[in-house]
Amino acid sequence: MKDLPVISSARPGDSASVTGLSDDTLLVMFARGDRQAAAELTDRLGPRTYAVALRVLGNRAEAEDVAQEAMIRLWRLSPDWQRGQAKVSTWLYRVTLNLCFDIKRRKKPLDIDAVPEPEDSAPGPAERLQDAARHDALQGALMQLPDRQREAVVLRHIEELSNPEIAGILDISVEAVESLTARGKRALAKALADRRAELGYGDD
Amino acid sequence: MAMTETDKDLEALFAAARDTRDDMPEGLAARMMADADRIQQDQLTLVAPVRSRPGLWDQLQSLLGGWAGMGGLVAASAAGVWIGLAPPEFLPDPAGLVFQQEEDLELFQSFAFNDVTLEEG
Repeated sequence: MKDLPVISSARPGDSASVTGLSDDTLLVMFARGDRQAAAELTDRLGPRTYAVALRVLGNRAEAEDVAQEAMIRLWRLSPDWQRGQAKVSTWLYRVTLNLCFDIKRRKKPLDIDAVPEPEDSAPGPAERLQDAARHDALQGALMQLPDRQREAVVLRHIEELSNPEIAGILDISVEAVESLTARGKRALAKALADRRAELGYGDD
Repeated sequence: MAMTETDKDLEALFAAARDTRDDMPEGLAARMMADADRIQQDQLTLVAPVRSRPGLWDQLQSLLGGWAGMGGLVAASAAGVWIGLAPPEFLPDPAGLVFQQEEDLELFQSFAFNDVTLEEG
């Protein structure tokens, strides 16, 4: 598994001048009025914030809103951005997850602690899981995870970020990230195994 | 056995998700760019006025009518101070008035009061 984030890497095939520049530099250029910097940052970071929002929320319309708002906040931040202090992508992931959290909180004002951990109990009504999983098996299983586990798994296994970077985004220790991703993966595997059994594939 | 299969399934699902992680829905990138353009314009036009935003002194000056108004105000104030310190003949001297009042009071207490009662009696 690669630990390098794909986002800030330059694309060797591109010849345009901005493609080799860091997100950091592009954000400063944006603040100075460079439109090409805006296009390049949208190209690099737009898909990142949308992909994470989509996997965390499991809802396209909400993910679009979150991604657009996260980028708006990035543009607004640009004049005050301190170069070299943090990675732009780390900041953006963090803002994205906060916006996702706000949406979830608005939607269901119930106690987070009241949601049972999938490992400890049955993973919700089987029909609901099957229905969600019919569209996207992974998304169906991801939605069964507690929020923090889902965030860690998405950042680790879909965004392919390093554990230290995930720790920075979630504001927890690297050990806590390892624990969250391990538990998340186990729960996902169990949900998929249950699904295989439900669909009658058998266990080989 | 089952876990191995599902682990493979899981890895395959992660890989499939990674394949589509750069996809954005139709129009989202355009909306992001529209926001970027708008905010960039706002920030560029805001930067100058924000820096030269009038301070208290500038605001006071424009309130009083610029340098011409300020000049008039200064002249009037100076005249007022001058009249206060060295009043022309036809005006009473404020310092003298205050002093005189105190003298009157003392006169009233020592002599004037007796005069009044004597006249009545």
